[in-house]
Amino acid sequence: MFKKMALNGCLMKSALNTHSYSLVLRRNNWAKNLTKREAKKAVVIDYVGENAERTPIIYAWGSAASGALGIASYLRPDVKFKHGRFVISRINRPARVRFFDIHKLKPLDIACGYGFTVVAVKVGSRKILLGTGMNTDSQLGYHEAPRGSGRVLDQLIEPGRIRLPLLKPDDCNVVTMDCGRAHTVVVVEKEGAFSLGNNACGQCGRTIVDGEDYGKNQTVNKILGVPDDVVKVVCGQDHTLFLTQSGQVYSCGLGADGQTGQGHYRNTDRLMLVQGDLGGEKIVSIGSRGDCCLAVSENGDVFGWGNSEYGQLGLVTDETQVNVARHLPLKDCGKVVKAVAGGSQCALLNDQGQVFVWGYGILGKGPQLEMSTVPSRIPDPLFGRNELSPNTKVVDIHCGLTYLSAVTDQGDVYTWGRDSQGCLGLGEYKNQFFPWKVVLPAEAIKLACGVDHVVALCRSFT
Amino acid sequence: MTIIKLLKPLQLTLALLKPDIVAQPHIVQNIRQLILENGLYFVLSKNVKLSHSQAELFYAEHRGKFFQTRLVSFMSSGPLWSHVLCGDDAIVKWRRLMGPTKVLKTVFDDPVSIRGRHGLTDTRNCTHGSDSEDTARTEIKFFFPEFSIDKWFEQQHELFQQDLVEFDTSLCQHVPVQANSLGTSEFS
Repeated sequence: MFKKMALNGCLMKSALNTHSYSLVLRRNNWAKNLTKREAKKAVVIDYVGENAERTPIIYAWGSAASGALGIASYLRPDVKFKHGRFVISRINRPARVRFFDIHKLKPLDIACGYGFTVVAVKVGSRKILLGTGMNTDSQLGYHEAPRGSGRVLDQLIEPGRIRLPLLKPDDCNVVTMDCGRAHTVVVVEKEGAFSLGNNACGQCGRTIVDGEDYGKNQTVNKILGVPDDVVKVVCGQDHTLFLTQSGQVYSCGLGADGQTGQGHYRNTDRLMLVQGDLGGEKIVSIGSRGDCCLAVSENGDVFGWGNSEYGQLGLVTDETQVNVARHLPLKDCGKVVKAVAGGSQCALLNDQGQVFVWGYGILGKGPQLEMSTVPSRIPDPLFGRNELSPNTKVVDIHCGLTYLSAVTDQGDVYTWGRDSQGCLGLGEYKNQFFPWKVVLPAEAIKLACGVDHVVALCRSFT
Repeated sequence: MTIIKLLKPLQLTLALLKPDIVAQPHIVQNIRQLILENGLYFVLSKNVKLSHSQAELFYAEHRGKFFQTRLVSFMSSGPLWSHVLCGDDAIVKWRRLMGPTKVLKTVFDDPVSIRGRHGLTDTRNCTHGSDSEDTARTEIKFFFPEFSIDKWFEQQHELFQQDLVEFDTSLCQHVPVQANSLGTSEFS
């Protein structure tokens, strides 16, 4: 009993002691922590250096079965994972193309065709051209693997080098490039314009040879008669348009709908100026993905030619085919800076960042399919302009065959239209009836829309 | 045997896979799978390339129409696959699988058809199919001049009707089941 009491007293004593001690300690800690916290606030840690470059990244989504995404493990899962068995043939969200990170390639420019992608990259001090996807018409050049075996690849599932006949092969400064259904056109600084692939309609700018076999073809053509100051190449499905610095538009290729704008409906294999209302106008932007072509002049006037079966050029004519450029009398559209045309729908962008759409299909104004010959505006809030970010505006628009996309100054990508193989990148295989933001973990700089896949050239946020 | 004679004879039709999808082998494979799943047989298959004049001849019925030039230059722009298909109501069945001609409308009206899924534009519309028995006869003759339809009905029709054929992947057509392999499959 005594022992217990003594023990109790001992405990009480110690408890008292610790109590008083902890009180003092706590007061001291509080003051110390406060000073520590204040000191921490003053120091700013730079995790990323001031001069650190923001990494360029490539994201791709849509149909993967052609190999156009450049992600080899989707089609050959057994290479990456020992027990991987299932092949990914399509993907509906942006997927990072790690090939460029692994090989330390810095992408500079991108272009997409039907089932293939072309990327201009910088490796160290060299600049080269890479291509991936379908090569059945030799649109990505001649790839024999292993060399000398006679086994010529008609599909690349990972980027491979496209060799152009340049004076300096390691200094391929691409000015502009674009891809059509089965052809590629690349304009290289100081070297000229080169074309690869299908030339059945003269879209490569060389003489049409009836019965030529384009598969396993080694021909890379240097297009003759191309002006030195080409700033933009745009490929439709089977035709090619060239825009020069001085504002002239040249064309070649399929002319059955009047896509070449030369006053006839024949195919042309030589570059000729587009006729009609373009004379004397300085053109700054051209757009064509399907069979309709649009051009925008410096003053903001819009011109159109080619296919008009779905009312794309309905403002000036009821005919389905127009073979010379016609001025489109637009009203209330402001000063237009860019116009794009897909298979049945068209869109234009003005200097205020407003987007207007017309044509047929899912135009982005709700679930009703509509056919409109007059451009109507898509409300700005759909592109992220709201009370929290009142200055957001669209800076670029792009067009696939049946879908449209826009890039804002924040680097956000919005897509809408008909989904094919997940090319909208919205996480679903469904049609999207109004612009919706693609979840991209980086800032988009450039977008290239193919028929069923999209490639985005992005920049990391830090 | 009497039951078989009472059955409706099989119908023959011509199916063409156009250059836009022949350039994409994975889509060609999908379409062949679809044809087999729908109970149609491949009687003959051939990979051909039409010249401009041949394509014009094939589409002689469209001469003068606004889309004739683009159709002809598209059909002569690359290799084609031509198939002779047979089956019950093969003409209607194949046309239903294809979907309507105008692709840019079909993608919304009939998105599960071949054209709705893989078509690009109104001309680049993946496939072609005969629209009646008479056109099927002339179109088959155009692509397979060595093939005699009457002879086929005499010699091979019964095999196809009794399903005594198997699909040969390398030839891409149905061939009569070999006698010995038939025996093993019956007894195993």
